[in-house]
Amino acid sequence: MADRPPGTAAVQRALEVLRDRLDARTTAFLNSCVRCGLCADTCHVYLADGEAESMPAHKVERIARFFRRHHTLLGRLAPGFVGAQTLDQEGLNALAVAAFGRCTLCGRCALNCSVGLDPSTIIRFARTVLGAAGMVPNGIRANVDLALATGNNMGISREDVLETVTWLEQDLQDTLGDPAAAMPVDRRGARVLYAVNPREVKFFPLSLSAAAMIFHVAGEDWTLTSSDFDITNYGYFAADAGAARAIAGRLVARAEELGVEELVVAECGHGYRTLRWEAPEWLGRPFPFRVRSFVEVMADYLAGGRLRLDPGKNPERVTLHDPCNLVRNGGVIEEQRVLLRAAAKDFVEMTPNREDNYCCGGGGGILAASEHTARRIEAGRIKADQIRATGAKVVASPCHNCIDQLMELNRAYKLGVEVRTLAEIVADALVLPAKPAP
Amino acid sequence: MSPTALVLLAAMFTSVAAFVVLRLRTGSTPAPLAPARGSAAVGVLYAFTVAFAPWAKESASRHLPSYAAGIAYHVAVFTALVRLVHSLFGTPLPPVVNAATAALIAVGLMAGTALLLKRCADPRLRAISVPEDFFANGLVDLTLAAAFATAMSSGALPVFQIVGAVLLLYAPLGKLRHMLFLLTSRRVLGATLGRRGVRPASHPSGTGRG
Repeated sequence: MADRPPGTAAVQRALEVLRDRLDARTTAFLNSCVRCGLCADTCHVYLADGEAESMPAHKVERIARFFRRHHTLLGRLAPGFVGAQTLDQEGLNALAVAAFGRCTLCGRCALNCSVGLDPSTIIRFARTVLGAAGMVPNGIRANVDLALATGNNMGISREDVLETVTWLEQDLQDTLGDPAAAMPVDRRGARVLYAVNPREVKFFPLSLSAAAMIFHVAGEDWTLTSSDFDITNYGYFAADAGAARAIAGRLVARAEELGVEELVVAECGHGYRTLRWEAPEWLGRPFPFRVRSFVEVMADYLAGGRLRLDPGKNPERVTLHDPCNLVRNGGVIEEQRVLLRAAAKDFVEMTPNREDNYCCGGGGGILAASEHTARRIEAGRIKADQIRATGAKVVASPCHNCIDQLMELNRAYKLGVEVRTLAEIVADALVLPAKPAP
Repeated sequence: MSPTALVLLAAMFTSVAAFVVLRLRTGSTPAPLAPARGSAAVGVLYAFTVAFAPWAKESASRHLPSYAAGIAYHVAVFTALVRLVHSLFGTPLPPVVNAATAALIAVGLMAGTALLLKRCADPRLRAISVPEDFFANGLVDLTLAAAFATAMSSGALPVFQIVGAVLLLYAPLGKLRHMLFLLTSRRVLGATLGRRGVRPASHPSGTGRG
């Protein structure tokens, strides 16, 4: 937890946020839960640990009892009767475990709530309250601070980006045998700005070169940016509206500066969700460019005949993990299936799938919260069971956050699978144009 | 108008006024700025129609008896409220309507009692329950019992009107206020899922539950 032990002042700040930041949506949700408990086994955390505290309704109750105590008549007059609780340090401690350790904001409970409320919105509000008390896990806070200070959550310098792109470009030219193959950077007037997860630059350059190959083969007019390229937004996970706005705002400003028609978000679930759906609300305006996931763009290329794929190049059984923020909360549902059917010889679905899919257990920023690692791996058991049941050798997922968690699950549960991005699988299946004559 | 009818009328006005104040204090959600992928209107329509079907949500399909009991309970509550309003006019219901509504209320009363017992017996439910959950359920059950008794004998009408008045006065204060807020919740979430193209499901299987 935070380096500064929260005391009375922290509780006071939390109370102020509980009073000032309650919007109509959250208020309606807080007043709607009837504690029927039917949400319990829709949650992967509860399914994995079976603890009452992991039931979505229980997690909602952690903050709802403060709401009732401080913002309802009966809560003030008869707190014990309505289960209202004065917001205090002990309550905040319990709330922190519920909001950051037992919930990945995946939204599966929302889709299945019998009343029709969204517990993940309530949990995000709980995180805002905790943030005011300085109780955001240090790992999440550090990512926010680094992104605000350097422009990306890994503190990668412009020079490092340019150096990585230079050798990736050389590699691309060698692979394609085409010296004209390029990975343009900071090119004004390009049609597409491709923005990435810093992990791709630092740890997974293969997914970046796969995307470059796909853009090249599709004949796209595209560019990368050497600054403000980060699509991730830990401000969203911290439920820190100011930080989230600032982080998203910089990429939006960069896209406007470059004058692109389209901002294409690399394979990152929450990156897509925040830039496609949340950022216009945070910034208070629609954008002069379109925002799409790279998954949608690849599917469009395929449909338009700009990509030809040979599924025989991916002969092993492939299954798909649907990232919650891209699918259930983002609406990109079928495109990845279209791509995998074309790019892999033996594509099988997990059960359940699409918007009903289970979270991998690594969402909501929990990957950065090391104090919840054991809980995260335990919650991932549901996903591990799903993967094992498919008999797949390859798990595709269009989200680097999910991929990190899936790789850990692969080790923890001995699944014996390879975890890959969609772009990597599609790039492997590309039927390349004939090499130009020397 | 009888004294109990006057009490009921006053309770109705007070309850409606309290709900209006609650609604106004809650405010409204701003119009979204991100361009839609699907239709908010279709999402809202789905939320108030198909989403109630037992197969539409895992929480319902996996817990069919509880979900069915919940539906029967709420149908009975609305039926009882209609009868409560009708009681102010002092005219008897046609026998067929009287019998049909009595049957609905009886089924709902049994369902409500079963849900109350379940809340007492199920450790999972007890873990999320507060005293008011038992009280609110009991109060609604009492109202349904009074409504049923009135359907059987008009002599029970004053009791029904008084119990009904207590229920209406209590509703805006405690968990029963969900009768107002769930409308907003369902609309807001339905619109969000509709705009994002998540619901209604557009893929052939209808759901991804396999």
